Amino acid sequence: MTLPIALDAMGGDLAPGEVVAGARRAVDELGLAVTLVGVPELIGDPLGLEVYPCSEVIAMDDDPAASVRKKKDSSLVRAAELVRDAKASAMVSAGNTGATMAAALLRMGRLPGVVRPCIATPIPNPGRSPMVMVDAGANAECTPEMLVQFALMASAFVAAHYRVDRPTIGLLSIGEESSKGTPLVKETHQLLAASGLNFSGNVEGRDLIPSPVDVVVTDGFTGNVALKTLEGALRFVFSTVLGVIDTNDETRAAGRVLMDHLVPVASRLTPESQGGALLLGLEGICVISHGSSNATAIMNALRVAAELVEDGVVAKMRVAIRPEAG
Amino acid sequence: MTADAVHSSPLDREAVRNLVTEQLAEILEKSPADIGEDVPFTDLGADSLALIELVEALEERLNAYVAGFHIDDEDLEGLTSVRDAVDYVSAKLQAA
Repeated sequence: MTLPIALDAMGGDLAPGEVVAGARRAVDELGLAVTLVGVPELIGDPLGLEVYPCSEVIAMDDDPAASVRKKKDSSLVRAAELVRDAKASAMVSAGNTGATMAAALLRMGRLPGVVRPCIATPIPNPGRSPMVMVDAGANAECTPEMLVQFALMASAFVAAHYRVDRPTIGLLSIGEESSKGTPLVKETHQLLAASGLNFSGNVEGRDLIPSPVDVVVTDGFTGNVALKTLEGALRFVFSTVLGVIDTNDETRAAGRVLMDHLVPVASRLTPESQGGALLLGLEGICVISHGSSNATAIMNALRVAAELVEDGVVAKMRVAIRPEAG
Repeated sequence: MTADAVHSSPLDREAVRNLVTEQLAEILEKSPADIGEDVPFTDLGADSLALIELVEALEERLNAYVAGFHIDDEDLEGLTSVRDAVDYVSAKLQAA
């Protein structure tokens, strides 16, 4: 029997309306089994989907760790418990990222040997599989050993999910030379070079999209800043192009010709199309969708979660971290 | 021990110290020998999430000795080292 995916119906700026609509589309268009986890009175019409009821909601600005302890009957905590108790195959949330991580960590637990879980965010990479950036925001302060473990987990994830043999790994720095960067970067460079992973050396911010490597590793603070910078820059480019197209009748006519070509490119680069980020290092699958997720983004996040279950990502990561466990 | 007690022998301070050290070592993937009693949690690499992990693990383990054992969230700020945690837990166990 296929276990459903537990979807936090209360998480996200557009919840529960867009979240429930996305779940319905995932069921209808992708054939997935989905359980909504949320407060029934707030969900309203569940569009015929099963609801696992709870009574609390963790807000976007709630303190992550404290809220998970205080709001034990929240949709986030209950969704993580459904995975822990083998009543759901994975969980998806577009809610408070820190609280999602805390709930998943505290309820599902870490894989043996994992020091800290990290957030892996796929970034579109034209012409090849997405580049995966770790850590995209879970751990603001890291040690070199943590970064090496993030690289190891991301490498196992990319191999399992994107079928890339020995993924290449880049270390985010301010120059390609190993002598450049902070003490953390320089020490991590040395450890990665000796790790047996397919380390390609340092990459710079301009190498994030398109990227010459399959995995970019950095600390969670830098990763989150880089990710949001990329997102903002892409938005600016899109709006600038649209503004230019709307300049006069001539450009609008040209726009009508170009739009059929521009829209597919733009849609591949939006966060909605990516389905969200994955928490690596846990005894279960947790997909974190963008806070502003619409129905399409939620459907894609559910699709990614189902694919990760199918790929056996958790079992493969367990072996990658502790080869003797395989 | 009160009527709530569910374990025959209460934990002395040494046993509590071992328990706290072992749990923290497991969370931080360190050897218990590397967990100094007076070293601040932050210097051991324990962030707020790791401390919540520790609190939840201690509550689960200590429930075997005192049913419903709970560490108050308001008290967490005062716990900055293993010694703090051991003193706090020992006092709570004694009061139970």
